[in-house]
Amino acid sequence: MPKHTHEIRDPIHVFVRLDNHERDVLNSRSFQRLRHIHQLALTYLVYPGATHKRFEHSLGVMELASRVFDVITNPDNVSEDIRSRLEPLGKADSDALRYWRRVLRMAALCHDIGHLPFSHAAEDLLPQGWDHERVTREIIASEEVRQIWENMTPPLRQEDIIKLAVGPKKAKDLQFSDWEAILSEIVVGDAFGVDRMDYLLRDSHHLGVAYGKFDHYRLIDTLQILPMPSSDDGNEDGEPTLGVDEGGILSSEALMVARYFMYSQVYFHPVRRIYDIHLKDFLKSWLPDGVFPTDISEFLLITDNEVTVALRKAAFDEDASGHSHACRIVRREHFKRLYERNPNDVAINPEAGRAIFDALGKEFEVDRFRHDRYFQKGGAPDFPVRMRDGRIVSSLAVSEVLNNVPVLSVDYVFAERSIFNEAERWLKENREKIIEPKKEETNNG
Amino acid sequence: MDRLKRAALITRLLQNLRDKGSWCGETHAQKAAFFAQHLMEVPLEFDFILYKHGPFSFDLRDELTSLRADGLIQLVPRWPYGPTIKPTDLAEKLQNNYTKTLKQHEKKIAFVADKLGAKGVADLERLATALYVTKQKRTDEQPEKRAKKLSELKPHIRIDQAQAAIDELDQIIKEAQEIIH
Repeated sequence: MPKHTHEIRDPIHVFVRLDNHERDVLNSRSFQRLRHIHQLALTYLVYPGATHKRFEHSLGVMELASRVFDVITNPDNVSEDIRSRLEPLGKADSDALRYWRRVLRMAALCHDIGHLPFSHAAEDLLPQGWDHERVTREIIASEEVRQIWENMTPPLRQEDIIKLAVGPKKAKDLQFSDWEAILSEIVVGDAFGVDRMDYLLRDSHHLGVAYGKFDHYRLIDTLQILPMPSSDDGNEDGEPTLGVDEGGILSSEALMVARYFMYSQVYFHPVRRIYDIHLKDFLKSWLPDGVFPTDISEFLLITDNEVTVALRKAAFDEDASGHSHACRIVRREHFKRLYERNPNDVAINPEAGRAIFDALGKEFEVDRFRHDRYFQKGGAPDFPVRMRDGRIVSSLAVSEVLNNVPVLSVDYVFAERSIFNEAERWLKENREKIIEPKKEETNNG
Repeated sequence: MDRLKRAALITRLLQNLRDKGSWCGETHAQKAAFFAQHLMEVPLEFDFILYKHGPFSFDLRDELTSLRADGLIQLVPRWPYGPTIKPTDLAEKLQNNYTKTLKQHEKKIAFVADKLGAKGVADLERLATALYVTKQKRTDEQPEKRAKKLSELKPHIRIDQAQAAIDELDQIIKEAQEIIH
C-alpha cells in the first residue's frame, strides 16, 4: 500500500508529519537549499552548538501551525459571535477549514524559503525595495513550487499561501480579510506566532541555554480567537484576533519573558552582533556589485557553504577581495565593544551611540569603528484574554508581568583591536561632552 | 526625517490627544498619526495600509516600541481595556531640543488632536477609513460613492454610518485647508 504520510524526527517536536504534497515541497530545490542556511548566522562562533539550519525550523513551524489551527477551530473553543463573523468557521461542511489548514501548513513550511545566506546577517545587501520576504514571495510564485499547489485537490491559491507566509506587514499590496489576518498571525504574529515559538525553543535547545524555553503545550491549548476589547467604546465588538483563556496567561507571560531573555543573552550578544557586521562587510566586497542577486535561479545558487569557502580563502590570501574582513571572522580578530547603551546615557541622549561613533570617526579613522543600532520590533503584548466569568479583557490589564517585560534595543560602538585602548581613554575623557544633545538650531537633524 | 525629530512630533501629538481627553491607546495614536501625515502634511513618513481598525502602520507600531525602549513614552494599564500611552518627562526634554520643528507643525498637530481627541475607537475607524478612501480617490468624488467604498472595505460599517463619516470628514478637510496653507 502506498504511504501517504511521512515522518521526520525532530529534537523539539519529536515527529513532524508530512503528506505527499508537503514532501514534494520539501524535496524542491529551493527548500532543500535551507539545509545550508544557518538559523543564527555566525552565532556558532560564540555558542558552538548553534549549527542548526532554517530547514528544520521550517518543519517545526509547520508542525506548530497546524497544532494551533486545530485548537482555535475546535468547535468547543469558538463562540457564536466569532463563528458568525469568520466565514470558514460558520460553514456546515468542513471543506473550507480543510482547505485553509493545508494553506496554513504550506505557508508555514515556506515562510523562510527566501532567506539569504546566514539568515538575517546581511539582509540589507539586497537591492533597494527587497527583503527576504519578497524573495519568499517570488519563490512561492515560481514554476517549481507553483506546480505543487496547482496539482493539489482542490488546488491551493498561490496568493493565499503568500499572505499567510509573510503576513500583512510584508504584503502591504494585498488585502487581508479578518480570517486571513488571524491565520497569518499564527505564522508570523507578534504575540503568538509559531515562527517565534519554534525559534525560541529550537535555539535554546541547540545553544544549550534554558532562557528560551516555555510551556508551549499549555499555551497552544489555551489559544482562542477572541474580539479585542476596544478600549473606550465599552463593547466587545473589536476585531477578532488570537487571544487566550485565563488559564493561558502564565504560559504567555513565560513566552514573552523567554523572548526577552533570548534577545538579551543571545540575539543581541555583542560578539554575535559584530560578527554579523564583519560578515556584511565581507559580502559587500565579495558579491558582484555588493548586492545579492534577485533573479531566483541565481539567488538559489548561494548558500552559507559558498560564502564560508570564500571567507576561508580570503582570510589566507592577502590579495583577495575582502581579506581584512574575512580575517576578522576566520581568525577571530573581531572588533571589540567600546560602548553600549545604558539608562543614564539614554536619558541624556537616546542616540548616544551615534554621537560617540561620529565623534570617534572624526578624532581617529572612521573605518576602525562600527556602530550597531537595532530596536525590538512589533508592539506591546496586548491581546484579548477570556476570563473565567466570560468577560474579555486586555492582557495588559490583567498581567503585571506583561506590563513590565523590558523593551530591548541595541546601541553598540565597536573598535578595531589595535586602536581600542587609545579610543577607550579618549572616550573616557570626552564622553559627557560628546553625548550632550544639541539644540535643533545647531545640529544637522 | 531624523529619528529624534520625529519622536518629538509623535510625543507632542500624543500629549495633545491626552489633553483633549483621548484614551490615547495604540489605535488612537495610529489614526491621529494617519491624519497628521495624510491630511495635515506633517512629514512623519510612515507607511500605512488598511488593516486593524482602518489605516494602520506597522512602522509606527515599531516606532512606538522604540520610544518605549528609550523611555520617551510609557504604557499605563487601564482595566479592562488596552493601555493608554503616556509621554514621559524625557519626551518633554526631547521636545525642548526641537522647538523649531514643533513650532512649524504645532497648529497642524493641535488641529488633529482637537478633531480626534474626544473620539472612541469605532468613530476613529470610520473617520480614518473615510480619509483613506478619499485619498485613494479624488477628494471631490461624490460622497455617496466614497461611502459605498468605505462600507465595502469595512463591511461591519453600515452605509448610513459610512455616509456620516464621509460628511464629517469633508467638513474636517475644509477646516484643515486654512491651517495647511
